[in-house]
Amino acid sequence: MDQIKKYSEEELVALLRGQDQQAFSYLYDNYAAALNGIICRMVDETHLAEDILQEAFVKIWNNFIHYDSSKGRLFTWMINLTRNLTIDTLRSKGYKKSRQISRDENSVSNYHDKSSAVDKFDSIGLRKQVANLKPEQKSIIDLAYFSGYTQEEISKEIGIPLGTVKTRMRSAILELRKMLEK
Amino acid sequence: MELNEIISSGLLELYVLGMATEQETAQVTAMAKQYSEVKAEILSIELSLEHYANIHCVNPHVKMKAQIYDAVTGKPNNSTVAVPFPQKEQPVPAKVIAVSSFWKYVAAASIILLIGSAILNYNYYNKYEVANDDLATANKEKLNIEQQLAAAEQSNDELKNNLNVVQSRYSEPHLLPGLPTAPDAVAKIFWMKDSHDVYIDASNLPDAPAGMQYQFWGIVDGKPVNGGLIVTNKKEDKFKIQKMNSFGRAEAFAVTLETMGGNPQPKGTMYVMGKM
Repeated sequence: MDQIKKYSEEELVALLRGQDQQAFSYLYDNYAAALNGIICRMVDETHLAEDILQEAFVKIWNNFIHYDSSKGRLFTWMINLTRNLTIDTLRSKGYKKSRQISRDENSVSNYHDKSSAVDKFDSIGLRKQVANLKPEQKSIIDLAYFSGYTQEEISKEIGIPLGTVKTRMRSAILELRKMLEK
Repeated sequence: MELNEIISSGLLELYVLGMATEQETAQVTAMAKQYSEVKAEILSIELSLEHYANIHCVNPHVKMKAQIYDAVTGKPNNSTVAVPFPQKEQPVPAKVIAVSSFWKYVAAASIILLIGSAILNYNYYNKYEVANDDLATANKEKLNIEQQLAAAEQSNDELKNNLNVVQSRYSEPHLLPGLPTAPDAVAKIFWMKDSHDVYIDASNLPDAPAGMQYQFWGIVDGKPVNGGLIVTNKKEDKFKIQKMNSFGRAEAFAVTLETMGGNPQPKGTMYVMGKM
C-alpha cells in the first residue's frame, strides 16, 4: 500500500526533524490528498477546508519535535492531528458534528459520488473494497475516523452499548485488514 | 489481562484512533513496549486505517502546495502547541476574552479622556495656585488701601474739625506773637465766644527739645492758670488745632516750655504771649 512513497517513514521522520524543505515537499505530495480527504468528509466549504489543510500542515511542521515514533506511525499521527484540528475548527465555528454523517445504508455510494470528481488518487478497486464493509462496520469507522465521535457518542448515535462499540470497531478494522491482505 | 484479551478487546483500535482515555493510552503504551505482539497489532491497525484514509483521499487544489509551503516556511513559529500522540489533541482554551470592538473603542476613549482630564487637572491646579497667590496679593493690597483710606478719613475728619474751629461763627482768633527769647515763634488761639472753649494752633512753634514740652496758660486775674499740655514733638500732631482747658474768662494767654509732663506753675521760658 505504500507504493507511492519513495522514502520510508523512518527516513521521512529524520528529514522532517531537520526541518528539511524538500521533506516538506515530499510530505505534501504523499499525504496532502489523504489529509484533505479527512477534512473534506467533515467540511463542505472549499475555502474553509483549504484553511484547515494549511493549518494542519503548519501544525505538523511546527509540532514535529513532539511526534514520538515509538507511540505510533507518522501517518496515523498526522491523520489524528488533522481530524482533531478539523473538529476543533468546526466546533469553534458552531458546526454540528454529524453534519456529514449519513446513517442511510446507501451512504457508501453517497460519498463516492461526492469525492470522485476531485479524487484522482484512488483506483476503482479500492472503492469497491470499501463497498464490502457491512454498513454497521462502515458507519462505526466513519463516525470515529472521519467525525471524531467519542465511544459514548457513537454508542448514542447508533444505539448500541458502550462495550459493543469497541468490539464492533475491532471487527470493522479486521475487515479492512482482510482487504489489505488480498 | 491476557495478551489475546487485550488484542481482541477493541482497545487497541481506540488507541490508534486517539479515542482511548488517558489511562487506557498509558496502559497500551506500556503493553506495546513490553509485548511485540501488541506492537505488531497496533501497527497493523494503523496500516488498515491509513489505507482507509488513502481510499478516501481528495486531491487539494494545485495552488495549495505553494500556499501552504509559504505558510509553513514564512511563519515557522505560528503554532507550537504540543500534539501528543495518540491522544486526541486537547484544544487549549485560549484565555482570551472576546471584547467587541465597540468596548475596545470605549476603553480607548476612556483612557484618552482620563489622560486628558489629568492634564487639564494639572493645568487647572497650576492656574489655581497662581490665582490663589494673586488673590492673596490683591487682598493685601486691598487691606493696605483700606488702611490708607482709614488714615485719610481720619486725617480728613481732623482737618474738618480744625476747619470747623476756624470757620465757626463763634470762634475769635487771637495771635500770640513771639517774645524776645523766641522771636520767630508764634501761636494762634481760637476763643469760642459761646462755649468759652479754647483751641490752639501750635504749628508755628519750634519743635520742643527732647524731655521738654510746651504748656498753655491762661492769665486770669493776673495769675497763670494751667491750660494743658501742647503736643508738638510729633510732627503730624503739631499741625492739629488742639483743644485746651477751658477758662471762664482770661485776660491773656501764654505758652511756656516746661519739663515733660508740665508744671502746676510756669517755671520755664515763655515763648509766646497775647492779650485778649
